[in-house]
Amino acid sequence: MIERSPLLDALTHALMIVGLIVTAFPIYVVFIASTHDLPSVNQVPMSLIPGNHLVENYAKVWSKSDFGAKMLNSLIVAVGVTVGKVILAAISAFSIVFFRYRLRMVFFWMIFITLMLPLEVRIVPTYAVAADVAEPLRWLVWLFGIELALPPVNLLNSYTGLILPLIATATGTFLYRQFFLTIPDSLVEAAKMDGAGPVRFFIEHLLPLSRNNMAALATIMFVYAWNQYLWPLLITTEQSMATATMQLQKIVPGPLFGQPPIWNEAMAATLMVMVPPLLVVIFMQHYFVRGLIASDK
Amino acid sequence: MQIRPFAAAFLAASTFLGGHAAQAQERQKFEFWYGLTGRLGEIMEEHCKRFNESQTKYEAKCVGQGGYDKAEQNTIAAFRSKQHPTLVQIYDAGTVNFMLSGATYNAPQLAKDFNMKIDWSAYFPGIANYYATSKGEMWSFPYNSSSALLYWNKDAWAKIGKSKAPETVEEWFDDLRAMKKAGVECGFAFDYDTWMPLEQFSAIHNIPIATKNNGYDGLDAEMVFNKTKFADYMKDWKKLLDEGVARIQTAQTGKTILQAFTDGTCASMLSSVANHGVVGSTAKADLKWGVAKLPVYKDFKRHNSLVGGASLWVLQGKSKGEYEAAAAYIQFLLQPKEEQWFADVTGYIPVTKTGFKAMVDGGFYADPKRAGRELAIESLTFTPPTAVSRGIRLGNFTQIRAEIRAELEAAFTGKKDMQAALDEAVARSNQILRRFEQTFKGKQLP
Amino acid sequence: MQRRAAFDNLWLAGALIAPQLLLVLVFFYWPTVQALYWAFSTQPPFGGANQWVGWQNFEQIFSDSVYWNSVRVSIIFAILSTSLSIATALLMALMVDRQLAGHRVYRFIYFWPYAIAAPAVGLAFRFIFAPDAGFVSAVNQFAPNLWNPALKGWDAMILIVIANSWKMAAYNFIFFLAALQAIPRTLIEAAAMDGSGVLRRARDVQIPLLQPTLFFLLVINITESFVDSFGIVDITTGGGPARATDLMVFKIYSDGFKGLDYSMAAAQSIVLMLLVVALTFIQFRYVERRVHYA
Repeated sequence: MIERSPLLDALTHALMIVGLIVTAFPIYVVFIASTHDLPSVNQVPMSLIPGNHLVENYAKVWSKSDFGAKMLNSLIVAVGVTVGKVILAAISAFSIVFFRYRLRMVFFWMIFITLMLPLEVRIVPTYAVAADVAEPLRWLVWLFGIELALPPVNLLNSYTGLILPLIATATGTFLYRQFFLTIPDSLVEAAKMDGAGPVRFFIEHLLPLSRNNMAALATIMFVYAWNQYLWPLLITTEQSMATATMQLQKIVPGPLFGQPPIWNEAMAATLMVMVPPLLVVIFMQHYFVRGLIASDK
Repeated sequence: MQIRPFAAAFLAASTFLGGHAAQAQERQKFEFWYGLTGRLGEIMEEHCKRFNESQTKYEAKCVGQGGYDKAEQNTIAAFRSKQHPTLVQIYDAGTVNFMLSGATYNAPQLAKDFNMKIDWSAYFPGIANYYATSKGEMWSFPYNSSSALLYWNKDAWAKIGKSKAPETVEEWFDDLRAMKKAGVECGFAFDYDTWMPLEQFSAIHNIPIATKNNGYDGLDAEMVFNKTKFADYMKDWKKLLDEGVARIQTAQTGKTILQAFTDGTCASMLSSVANHGVVGSTAKADLKWGVAKLPVYKDFKRHNSLVGGASLWVLQGKSKGEYEAAAAYIQFLLQPKEEQWFADVTGYIPVTKTGFKAMVDGGFYADPKRAGRELAIESLTFTPPTAVSRGIRLGNFTQIRAEIRAELEAAFTGKKDMQAALDEAVARSNQILRRFEQTFKGKQLP
Repeated sequence: MQRRAAFDNLWLAGALIAPQLLLVLVFFYWPTVQALYWAFSTQPPFGGANQWVGWQNFEQIFSDSVYWNSVRVSIIFAILSTSLSIATALLMALMVDRQLAGHRVYRFIYFWPYAIAAPAVGLAFRFIFAPDAGFVSAVNQFAPNLWNPALKGWDAMILIVIANSWKMAAYNFIFFLAALQAIPRTLIEAAAMDGSGVLRRARDVQIPLLQPTLFFLLVINITESFVDSFGIVDITTGGGPARATDLMVFKIYSDGFKGLDYSMAAAQSIVLMLLVVALTFIQFRYVERRVHYA
């Protein structure tokens, strides 16, 4: 953009730097805490100069918590949720926005309402479903008057059990709907003129246009899945299935009697667990760059 | 052809590992869920490891649940779907829920069915009575246990020429005021936790918190703490606060009472003996400190203090082999050697007299690092437990604690008069009790 | 708002939406219907003998002043943190989108807060804003008791609003930026040719085109501040002091999860859900009308 507005540019820079400080300072504090030993991290106020226990703290937490294997689990779960969500949300929103049928608003609201009740408050019955997914199906068939002996399907301690309930949310569907509604009708008409059916329209026209939104959604979903701890904590009892964030929960001490808070290690673990989502952000930023998409139409 | 040696090595390794795994599979496994986190959670893991290495027949699989409340909740969710562990660590406030659950395999039955060698009379009465049914049977096995003490700063007391900790509440308060005059900025740090001022205080003064002997005699108990000496105690604390002698220290103010004590800011606090080790390891270098039994109002005779912590429950619906393994684990934990190791690394107290005696004889408490920890036992066993000093058996006690806490916050921050706040706390607690009674309609406390 | 042009293949439409519906039915509606039943009964924690009690649980919560307090603080929290996080994120995204020198660095850093797990965010903020320990303690030395979230309700509320907005602003930033970058370059250049400056263009071109995203974020932010604020409250204020930050979802969690009163928690969940559904409905009915899609 060839234009000059020095005053505004200066203001923009100033504001962005303020934003940078506000954003980064808390993270800096967490980082500093992870470089001290226990007595100095408990000092009040804590020093803002890095201590010299960084390597020691990180090495200790890494080996103590077996983070290697746990991060792999987290990665599998987060990728599973992201891919599942990006695809399912796209096709369900496609169905709701571009097809003409009476139930589409009902379906939209049915999916949408899932945003309104977080997993935390329905965790006990949700656990029961994960312990035997066949139960609701059994019930459903029974409603239709069929006696069917479905064997119990147990999702505890499995990737499927970790992934599926996290996909059953509405954020993605809603986001795609918002985006699909901005697609001009003329585009659909033109595609139809070219003889494109719904599938071809979806793949050849809609998906390339949705690239930005998909990248944003994928980033958000990855981080969301990565940071889950309540659900994994509940349904995994095998150490081999444990995830990194749930391990973090075990390191960060709760408010118990006689609980020595080992802040330096807890903060080191926090930062370590944060690295993979940040890498995903760096990777995904590539897709936010302008010029690759609809811009030049 | 370079692959060959690798392949051979791999084959050898997998045979070895396979053989090893097969051997391990012969062990009878069982699951144990625990609530402790942080360093204490690691110690739980170590305790399991010690058991697994001590013998070859059984294997404990220990799973941390990330908190006491989560351990309880997760166990219940799992039990409803028949996926629960054999053994679970449940905190003191969850005792009633488990007693009424019908989901437990009770300790005496387990001991009988699996020929466990347990001397029930060896448990400290203060601990045994807290967890016991009306028939005097313990349904769970006390595990990590603690009691409360007064932590005092010897240097601060030296400024008013005293070298002994106060015995009575009156003496303590006078000391605090004298110290203020002598230049001690903060004599006493407290937070809103109810365990110290309400539960421990009421026990050592032998005054009730609720009717029906603190709930032991029935689910229809009603709260009475707004009309006991506890109300005066809280009003006195408020006075200390207003005079600037005491301070509120919570995680939200930036320093917990523990931090305020260990960095020398505040000269005394009431806390669990389980913090003894932490105070020792985090206190600033030149801090001279000691512990003493909780102060008592001078018109009252001192009684025993309460046990805090958690006990181990065995749950129904598991196989005979799993019960046998769990029984072996419990038996293992009760060995004096294990009790001492556990007390040493955590700061918790031994649960049996035999364990305690072995530790005294072994010179455990002679170590200056641990000096004073035995006072917790002295406090816990000061008198035989009475009908109200033995413990508290009230439904949904976690919620009740939260209600009292919120009202104390309102009173100490000046939003409400103390008496009005306590009256409200009683009314709200009674609502919770009535709800609990309704939810468990037709059930009797064992 | 509804599209004119559309396809008619019903089987395909059904097949496309079926997987999502199935997941939602199994993992959301099935458990929720059970919770609904609990709301009208008393449910012992370990299961077993439920007793049907009709509206009793609801009558009890509606007659409780503490419950109404939690509704009130939840609404205040939702309004404050939604406006703060959307406004800052929009400003940041517009500025980054100008692509001045260093915008890649800003863009990268601004997203960080969202990558941190909620408990850690809470810890960092509690630490920074603690009156005796943190970095505002200096302020308190000049003006004692100016700031004390441990004793003053409003300070505690401000604390959780800032902590939540800090995190949500990062979330909003990503979506705003994605949407801004999707605005055709030519459109903005054309406006620039016509002589409209940066601010004019933001007002006349960019923000109107952001409306669908803005609406999406408005709905998501309001919803999230009602239903997903548990982690931050739990670590920073614990609902206090004296219930000043006792948000509805936190109360549900403490009553149900910690207190094991499943029925009361279920009844409160239903009320929370109805409240959020109503708010969302209002937004769709009245706000979305003003949204210009293509």
